Amino acid sequence: MNPRVIRAVAIAMFKEFWRTPEALFWTYGFPILMMIGLGLAFQPRVPPPVPIAVVIGEAGAPFVELLQNTKELEVLQLDAAAADRALVRGRVGLLVRGTKAAPDLRLDPVRVESQIAQLHIERALHRAAAGGPIAVATAIEDRPGARYIDFLVPGLIGLNLMGACMWGIGFNLVMMRTQNLLRRLFVTPIRRGDFLIGYIVGRGVLVVPEAFVLAAIGMIFWDVPFRGSVLAMLAVVIVSGLAFTGLGLLCASRATTYEGIAGLMQTCQLPMWMLGGALFSNESFTGLMRWAADLVPLTHITNALRDVMLEPGGFAEVGWTLLGLGGFAVVCFTLALRLFRWH
Amino acid sequence: MNSPASAAPGVASSAIDGPAIELVGLRKTFRKGRDVTVAVNGLDLVVERGEVFGLLGPNGAGKTTTVEICEGLTAPDAGQVRVLGRQWRTGVDQEIRERIGVCLQETKFQEKATVREILGLFRAIFPGGRSIEEAIDLVSLGEKADSRTKGLSGGQRQRLAVATALLGRPELLFLDEPTTGLDPQSRRQLWDVVREYRAGGGTTVLTTHYMDEAQQLSDRVAIVDAGQVIALGTPAELIRSLGAEHFVEIEVDGFAGKIRPAELAALPAVEHCECEDARAVLTVDSVHTAVVAMERLLQERDVALLGLATRHATLEDVFVHLTGRHLREDGKS
Repeated sequence: MNPRVIRAVAIAMFKEFWRTPEALFWTYGFPILMMIGLGLAFQPRVPPPVPIAVVIGEAGAPFVELLQNTKELEVLQLDAAAADRALVRGRVGLLVRGTKAAPDLRLDPVRVESQIAQLHIERALHRAAAGGPIAVATAIEDRPGARYIDFLVPGLIGLNLMGACMWGIGFNLVMMRTQNLLRRLFVTPIRRGDFLIGYIVGRGVLVVPEAFVLAAIGMIFWDVPFRGSVLAMLAVVIVSGLAFTGLGLLCASRATTYEGIAGLMQTCQLPMWMLGGALFSNESFTGLMRWAADLVPLTHITNALRDVMLEPGGFAEVGWTLLGLGGFAVVCFTLALRLFRWH
Repeated sequence: MNSPASAAPGVASSAIDGPAIELVGLRKTFRKGRDVTVAVNGLDLVVERGEVFGLLGPNGAGKTTTVEICEGLTAPDAGQVRVLGRQWRTGVDQEIRERIGVCLQETKFQEKATVREILGLFRAIFPGGRSIEEAIDLVSLGEKADSRTKGLSGGQRQRLAVATALLGRPELLFLDEPTTGLDPQSRRQLWDVVREYRAGGGTTVLTTHYMDEAQQLSDRVAIVDAGQVIALGTPAELIRSLGAEHFVEIEVDGFAGKIRPAELAALPAVEHCECEDARAVLTVDSVHTAVVAMERLLQERDVALLGLATRHATLEDVFVHLTGRHLREDGKS
């Protein structure tokens, strides 16, 4: 080891970094802003009640009353089909049937919120029995389409669309800009729109089949169902890909450093990872969190994917989502086209 | 006006008469924080059609900025720019770009693309022009046509860059320091490409800080310093402007007390003399006359001649004569 060399390299690298304000902001400024934002959002407070579904006509009135009087639980009284759907989509942690004396719970124990709901119900029953014995029948939800893995696979497809389209499009474009290739193209008669369309088609062509490959893996290895329209799924994947591509292009339209594009991507993607309902359900979010979750495209994409995979959804079910995402893509592309810089 | 019938075979014909480039009172300043750099400072220039025009100057002289303004990459702060009779940002940018070819100082093509694929991309962009095979032959990259650009040498990459610039059969070709960092053989290969393009009737604007390159290739040269043209003419004219075309450099055991600089300068055929303790550089118009007279003087004064070298004057000497600096001695002017 040569300390003189190490020192010289360290100083050179530090100065280069220090003199790049864009890099400095995304490395220091952005995490600080994020910490302040998340710190304010997640102040210590009483946790919200855990939503559970009581199947109308299959749970006794005294039992429902007991559950409704348990402040840790939010009781939704639903018919059997709606209750199943609420469980599948993660809206509720478990389904309740039976009576106070012989309760019957249905849940997927892989979900933490299901276990919490089960514990709260058992505690309520203990209190009601004044410490006496209770007998709770618990059934593990293992029907294809109602398990956590069924919820997860469409979410992963949504996340993959987001990552592949945003990083694949945005990061590579900034690399072409830093290597002068965009500048070289600029001095040719190529039109901005022609270049961007060609670029997007070339980079994005593999994203569509990849979504179906992921769905097929889920179907083959874990019996994840595919109950809806394949064409509707294709439309959801293409339009979602365009929406994320537009967002990636917008992020990359002016960035000139890797730190800059990485920071912009993180700013866009972090809220989607947290609120987009890909890995865990955002159905029970309320207030500001609900508003924010509805704002991010990933929420609508994962919902649409679950509509066409886990339920017999078609264009009627995902039509509005397709329109909304299409509009979002148009806005992003228009802005990106206006802001785009070759060099 | 160039009629299609009179247009050279290698270059697309133009319907517009006049010089290839006209620059009048060009100014460009760059600001970063408190730093203000005047890159181009009232530069006037005319490049005629069919010539190889060299922009010679040290790094930072304003050559690249001037060329980037001509290429439409940078907007000037002030001044007029006409390229092939057209002005940038007046709704004809597309037309100008179809008629020019550009080789930037440095471009990294996609590493995993082959030479043929890169040329295919650029070929598709231009509405007319050379075929891919023609362009490959033009820059002698036939053996590497199916090689990925990652595996090309610096010279081969630069020839590929020139090939992309020539694909559209441009009327005007910009080469921005095309041979910087290349070995002598690669440089000569690129020079041949430029000569062939010129023979086809094309106009070339060449920026370089290599005096030999400017001298070898250029019909006319503008020497640029501090954002201004400080000399303009053919290489021969510029060298003749020194008053003599040869230099005689001598090294002796010491002039002190024996020979004065004025005595050397007064020798036959000597125009100018610069003396140090034991070294002198004579600017002469006839080498043999000056050398004979100088040797006689050294013998008479009993000064031993330790070394003698003669050389032709170069554009470097013109630059030194005009600025007192060498072309390569600083990079911030």
